Amino acid sequence: MSRHCLQRLAATTNTRAQALAAAIALSILAGCSVTSRMEPYKRTDAVINEGEQVVVLARKHHSTHETEAAFVDCVAGALASGSDGLEVHDTVAFEDQLYPWFEPSRAPLSTDELSELLDKPDVFDRVQGTGVRFLVWLDGSTDRVASGGGITCAAGVGGAGCMGLAWWEDDARYDATVWDIQELDSTGTIYADVRGRSTLPAIVIPIPLIARPRAAACRGMTEQLRQFLTAPTSYLPGPELQ
Amino acid sequence: MESMETGNHLRLLRRCWVALACAAISGCSTSLVVNAIFPQPLVDPLPVRVGILFDEALSTYAHEEKIPQQASYSIQLGDANVSMLSQLFNSMFVSTEPVVGLPLETADQGRLDAVIRPELERFEFDVPIQRTDNFVEVWMQYQMRLYETDGQLIAEWPVTGYGKAEHGNRGAALNRAAVVAMREVGAEISTEFSAQPAVEYWLEEKQNESALSSEAGRNN
Repeated sequence: MSRHCLQRLAATTNTRAQALAAAIALSILAGCSVTSRMEPYKRTDAVINEGEQVVVLARKHHSTHETEAAFVDCVAGALASGSDGLEVHDTVAFEDQLYPWFEPSRAPLSTDELSELLDKPDVFDRVQGTGVRFLVWLDGSTDRVASGGGITCAAGVGGAGCMGLAWWEDDARYDATVWDIQELDSTGTIYADVRGRSTLPAIVIPIPLIARPRAAACRGMTEQLRQFLTAPTSYLPGPELQ
Repeated sequence: MESMETGNHLRLLRRCWVALACAAISGCSTSLVVNAIFPQPLVDPLPVRVGILFDEALSTYAHEEKIPQQASYSIQLGDANVSMLSQLFNSMFVSTEPVVGLPLETADQGRLDAVIRPELERFEFDVPIQRTDNFVEVWMQYQMRLYETDGQLIAEWPVTGYGKAEHGNRGAALNRAAVVAMREVGAEISTEFSAQPAVEYWLEEKQNESALSSEAGRNN
């Protein structure tokens, strides 16, 4: 082989390697992306006081979706944690203490229904006994909205490997409606919409680049809820809410 | 040397296949004893003394189902039935006691106002096969029957419950969905019992009877 051919081969190999490296870098950069939108609306200037508690509950009456228990735990846990953590009542304990009034088919859907519920014998006393002033109703879910690509894997005696690129997009849409038991009114709502695209490039070994929109929605929602419940004038009044 | 390495690889592959086959076989059958602690309902007890009759069919209820090309299931609900319904009835009535059959012995008839006999008529469930389905679902229907102590039927009505749980571990998800469905059943029984027309009428009669007897007691 001539010297010229060797130089051309080296140049071609270099170009291919650079192109492959660029493709990997691009897929990594473009691969894991999260876009988020938070919309808080607060209607009153009610705030949580010393000794008052908040409970985080999931809306479970929809036939199409249900707020994941992990999301409820995440929001409740994050609200309670940190030096400025709020007093958060355990969700399951609250539902058990008020059984059967917060079961999916019996839970109040509006503050008028909450008012009717609190008029029932012993219910108001039981709620007072829990120390809970604010109910946070979480509604929504994280769903896969798109996916594509593909990976082929093969295994043999000499070893195994994968090649290809897969991607998927998850959309985490939640809203948190806050009810004030003391005022029997809806304090407001926070909307969160977080979309995350994950990719899985595979060149021999699959490298997962996972976006976690549900975790991002939890962080955003918790931050807003904390501000919502502690700062009276942080928000402009929003639309009429149930 | 090379053939020895190849032999080692083949042995490793064979072991992997055996492990996979074992996992597949054990994954084809699910046996579950539904287990939960049911809360006491927050309802005002009705002023009647009720006997509770749990048939053997209810207290040992088991649902067996083989789903073609998926798995076979054995779901034991007997203990959960007794636990949930006992807790419920104890809160719903001023006094309860277990009874073994109907009609009651003449001596026992004066001690109680009625006997309630629940029956689990139908139990259905759905475990998703596709990854896109997120929930395990359970649907159940009980038939509630309220009898006079002499065995005469006062009222009967169906009570249904639906529960779903996120699909994770198959057994745990089925347990959660069944418990949610049973809690729904409990919620409906405890809040709608006295709203059944025949039960409402019977309760009114009982109240009138007790008002009359207390008035008669005062006059004597």
